[in-house]
Amino acid sequence: MPTPDAKRRTWRWFDYKKQIPARWVIALGIAAWAIFFAIWEISVPLGWVTPLLVPPPQKVLTALWALLTERDFLSDIGVSIYRVVVSFAAASAVAVPLGIAMGAFRSVEAFFNPFVSAWRYLPAPSFIPILLMWFGTGDMPKLALLFIGVVWFLATIVMDHTRSVRAELIETALTLGGNRKQILWTVVVPAAMPNVVIAMRQMLAVSWTYLVIAEIVASSNGIGAMMMRAKRFLHTDEIIAGILVIGALGLLFDYLFRVAHRLLFPYLEEHGR
Amino acid sequence: MNGSVKLSARGVSKSFAVAGGQTIQAVRDVNFDVHENEFCVLLGPSGCGKSTVLRMIAGLEDPTGGRIELDGHDILRPDRERGMVFQSYTSFDWLTVQKNVEYGMKLNGVPAAERRDRADKFIDLVKLTKFRNAYPKQLSGGMKQRVAIARTLANEPSLLLMDEPFGALDAETRWNMQELMISIMETTGTTVIMVTHDIEEALFLGDRIVFISRHPGTVLQDMTTDFKGGKRVRRKEDVLTVPGYAEMERDIMKLMREQGSEEEQEA
Repeated sequence: MPTPDAKRRTWRWFDYKKQIPARWVIALGIAAWAIFFAIWEISVPLGWVTPLLVPPPQKVLTALWALLTERDFLSDIGVSIYRVVVSFAAASAVAVPLGIAMGAFRSVEAFFNPFVSAWRYLPAPSFIPILLMWFGTGDMPKLALLFIGVVWFLATIVMDHTRSVRAELIETALTLGGNRKQILWTVVVPAAMPNVVIAMRQMLAVSWTYLVIAEIVASSNGIGAMMMRAKRFLHTDEIIAGILVIGALGLLFDYLFRVAHRLLFPYLEEHGR
Repeated sequence: MNGSVKLSARGVSKSFAVAGGQTIQAVRDVNFDVHENEFCVLLGPSGCGKSTVLRMIAGLEDPTGGRIELDGHDILRPDRERGMVFQSYTSFDWLTVQKNVEYGMKLNGVPAAERRDRADKFIDLVKLTKFRNAYPKQLSGGMKQRVAIARTLANEPSLLLMDEPFGALDAETRWNMQELMISIMETTGTTVIMVTHDIEEALFLGDRIVFISRHPGTVLQDMTTDFKGGKRVRRKEDVLTVPGYAEMERDIMKLMREQGSEEEQEA
């Protein structure tokens, strides 16, 4: 006798808003990359591209290994990380308090917002020539570029998140007897903080983008500078190795921010009741 | 139940400026008294300005006319003596239940040991003892409202204000919360002003029901629930069979319907 279950439909590949089995989610994700590398791998033997312009994957990995072990690429990576971290820390130290103050108080917003918003529309890379004239060729012009590329955007996003802290939370604290200073530190800041950290994570990715621009245009060290040197000698394998390293670093920093977010705000997890 | 006058509203009105330089009158010439230890319900159709009246009592908004006095003093700004519970959940996500309930006391400089004792007492009162160390994200809607109520009561306000506190809860949770309010009234003897548009809730909880008319809101009728004989009924189903309940419910429904029909005429 057929049970009702026997007629029940199993999952299909194309269904609206339905889950597919977890193992397929993983397999499909890997498959996309496998296909990408396979096409890359066979494109030279099949004569689709010249090996000089598109070196095969293993040549890129060999070049990366040589760079790391023989050519002191690690110090270039170190310089790049240093530039991102220092400039991003400085930009956050300015943008987060400023954004919170703008989001919390209309008067602060009225003073700063027209100024801050306008600066967002001046493209940071257009400052490179003048930054080089002001600060010479050391780390300073790169740090300055990364700083101005991040600070205005971050301040504006933090302002928006602070402004969207629910009025009832603030009013509750008022009717419990809180004064303005207490409410800023015990309601506004903790309520906005999870979103502020997400905004920082997103802006850090922007910071990496500006870093590469700065190092490609005007630098003698760092990952971008290595790539420009490689271009001079037609070392496409090294250029692609540089791209991979930047991608991996971006991914790593993003991951670190995710972990930090989980550790800083454990109370946002809904399970564990 | 009828102690001395605790709060009095005299000729209270409120106008808002809207776009285009016009003003809208939300509340007009509101007069009523609330007595010591009384549970006063502000009842009326939605959009009648009853929440505006409550927000003015809290000091979150200023009246444009008239005055509101608590214990003979003008209400000028928000203060811990008038704690408010909102319809939307206001428990602080980043604090445990215990820390949420201690929060108001901490603002007011209550020493840590006393804070803990008082918080324990009110967490027990709202039956959240087992969830003391949980974070709000792990609680249901009814539990979050209980946190808000405990937090406000632990701060020892002389007036508890509630703005449709159970409006977002499902029916069963809502009457559980209403029965909880009865036991809280019996234990603490706080004076409460609650806004609602739920007639059953008003009749079950209220000692006094102030019926506010539709926009611009003004007091249409100031009633006492005398049918309960000055006592509080503990169970929701029991109040339904008290003689006089049905008559009062019918009268209020008539009032509500008349208010509704005005809107239909406008439309």
